[in-house]
Amino acid sequence: MKRGSLKLLGGLLALAFASACAAQNIKIAILGPMAFLQGENHWAGAEMARDEINKAGGIQVGGAKRQVELVKIDTNEILSVPDATNAIERAITRDKADVLIGGFRSEAVLAMQEVAMDNKKLFLGVGAAHSKLGVNVKENFERYKYWFRVAPTKDTDLARTVFAVLNTISEQMRRDLGKPEPKVAIVAEKAVWVEALLKAAQDTLPKMKMSVVGVWQPSATANDVTAELSAIKRAGADIVFTIVSGPMGIVLGRQMGELQLPAVAFGINVEAQKDGFWAATASKGNYVSTLDTYSEIEITPKTVPFVKAFKERFKRAPAYTAASYDAIMLYKDTVEKAGTIESDKLVPVIEKAAHTGTASVLTFDANHDPVFGPGKVTGIAVQWQNGEKVPFWPNNWNGVTYKGVRPIILPKL
Amino acid sequence: MNAVSALAARSWANLRNEVLVLPSRIAVLVWALALLLLPLVWGDAYVMRVITMAAIFAIFAASWDLLAGYSGQVSFGHAIFFGVGAYTSALLSKHFDLSPWLTMPIGAAAAVLCGMLVGLLCLRMRGSYLSLATMSFPLILLGLLFALPELSGGELGISGVRRAVVSPVSNYYLAVVVMLASVFGIWKIGDSKFGLILHAIREDEVACRASGINTPRYKVLAFLLSASFAGIAGALFAHFMRLAGPSTLELALSFQVVIWCVFGGMATVYGPVLAVFILYPLTDFLGGFDLFRDVRLLVFAVIVLLVLLFMPRGLGPWLRDRAERVCPRCKSRNVFTRKQCRLCEAELR
Repeated sequence: MKRGSLKLLGGLLALAFASACAAQNIKIAILGPMAFLQGENHWAGAEMARDEINKAGGIQVGGAKRQVELVKIDTNEILSVPDATNAIERAITRDKADVLIGGFRSEAVLAMQEVAMDNKKLFLGVGAAHSKLGVNVKENFERYKYWFRVAPTKDTDLARTVFAVLNTISEQMRRDLGKPEPKVAIVAEKAVWVEALLKAAQDTLPKMKMSVVGVWQPSATANDVTAELSAIKRAGADIVFTIVSGPMGIVLGRQMGELQLPAVAFGINVEAQKDGFWAATASKGNYVSTLDTYSEIEITPKTVPFVKAFKERFKRAPAYTAASYDAIMLYKDTVEKAGTIESDKLVPVIEKAAHTGTASVLTFDANHDPVFGPGKVTGIAVQWQNGEKVPFWPNNWNGVTYKGVRPIILPKL
Repeated sequence: MNAVSALAARSWANLRNEVLVLPSRIAVLVWALALLLLPLVWGDAYVMRVITMAAIFAIFAASWDLLAGYSGQVSFGHAIFFGVGAYTSALLSKHFDLSPWLTMPIGAAAAVLCGMLVGLLCLRMRGSYLSLATMSFPLILLGLLFALPELSGGELGISGVRRAVVSPVSNYYLAVVVMLASVFGIWKIGDSKFGLILHAIREDEVACRASGINTPRYKVLAFLLSASFAGIAGALFAHFMRLAGPSTLELALSFQVVIWCVFGGMATVYGPVLAVFILYPLTDFLGGFDLFRDVRLLVFAVIVLLVLLFMPRGLGPWLRDRAERVCPRCKSRNVFTRKQCRLCEAELR
């Protein structure tokens, strides 16, 4: 009886100790569509950050080191906006998360932003690009000040990156191929999100001394675009400017190779960002290029070690939502500087931060958006060259060249 | 004083003779009381949010039941009324700074107009043709909204919509009270002469017309009434979420409501409400467990399939049939333990 009581007491003490330790942990809610690639990368990036921080003893808060505990929150936001708001409410009120990181679909993140702001909880966005999220901060600072966008760069800056890369390509064409006014064919999938960029391209490209030979808008899921590509070939296009997020991006790359289209494809092609693109195009996607976030180049001193470690651990390259790693590291630096986890006290510290992350040097503007430009957030561009995804931009763009970039290859035009 | 006590006595008599005699009615009473008392005993913000959403979707599901279950006009595009209610309310609130108490009824009125348009355009269609035709309306509206991004907010929708009430508890009570009133209203409509005519139209429209019933008028009226309730749900949604976006018009929402109604039992009103209050929180709660997070949609599908397999008329009628018996003579319902009908005293088999 006595021995039994002692065992019970020991068990209770152990339980109390475990609970006390758990209470000391800093809870970070990782929000994302966990059944999709974007959510998987949110979680993978966060796991890397957690393990690194905990291995080093945790986050220094005031006089104590506290371990990081991740809470996986499946927002299901691609399928349902209400599910996303329920999920963030659960993270805040049930799981008692100290900070929220993630989000992907802009419409859902806007709704989640409301719940986070209702609860005055710090929300570091990793995934949604729409500028409205930052505009909210400017329009009603007191309410929305807890929102910061860590990645990606906002949509208008994304467009600036696209045109900057296009300018680099056209300059190279003028210099190497003697084409004073390269011809551009625009291939944009039939979707709403492409419209602003499409209009901007039609307005901007002529001002950049490029002529637009036509706009083609196949379905995002089209499995044959030979008709469009034949027309583009006849139009004599030198550049195929792609605005594509669907699987049509693979078809486009493969059929450009099959038709031996003498043009370089560049723009947004989400499928071309994936490791499996080369195999999916049956090795015919040569010269296809796209904007990207991560590659083994020195965007910052942290980029190459992070990408290598990510590949080794998860057997795939990180996608842009893996910047949850940067968000956690930014949070760690901020908490250690402020000596507290109170959101109100962290906001002014983040506003003044200059955090060297794995994909950029993060500083924030008045909208709490990352500042775009040389030495800050730039993004990168990659091209498929004989089965290898080769980073080629920025290469002497406004004085920025990342160590490891290689020249873009122009097909024989 | 006498009048008050007489009213109380009459209410108690009604309660004792009409409600407390049947398990299904007792269950509804307990459920309604539980909903109203919940924040007093369990003020968990997450639970209140989930039930607030369930209440909004319950109005939406019951509105579809009125149209499809009662009048037999199966709409696969019911989200249009929800979306019109949400967008109208959000636009008026955002651009004209009107009070939500004004924008919500206007949103419902806009949904009624939309219901009239859809009803009139689909008047000559029946069965699968009607279902497919109705499916196109939310897609058309989505196209229009995307074509006017300055007005509609494009793919992002309208955000930052004013809340009708601020605190989670107030939002909860607003949604629950409106839901209880709407569902009771729909049930009364279904139980009225009008509802009986809708039943008749669903069973045999030709016979109804031969009986002198102006069936087109009733069919359009069914669209109007159903749209008004869906519009109320949409407007509530916009002000609660502070957002009216393309997701309010998605086909997924139109199909979701069909699943809820078939699961709960069509032409019952209580069935779809029961289904929403089981399936919506269940799938959400499952998302909170590591074990179920990745398979919650699969679990949802399996539950729905099992219910349809073993309870073809839906969960609501199945449960009711277990708890109550119908008198073979007067068709009134009795608790399953009774041997004789409570009204006509006929023997219950």
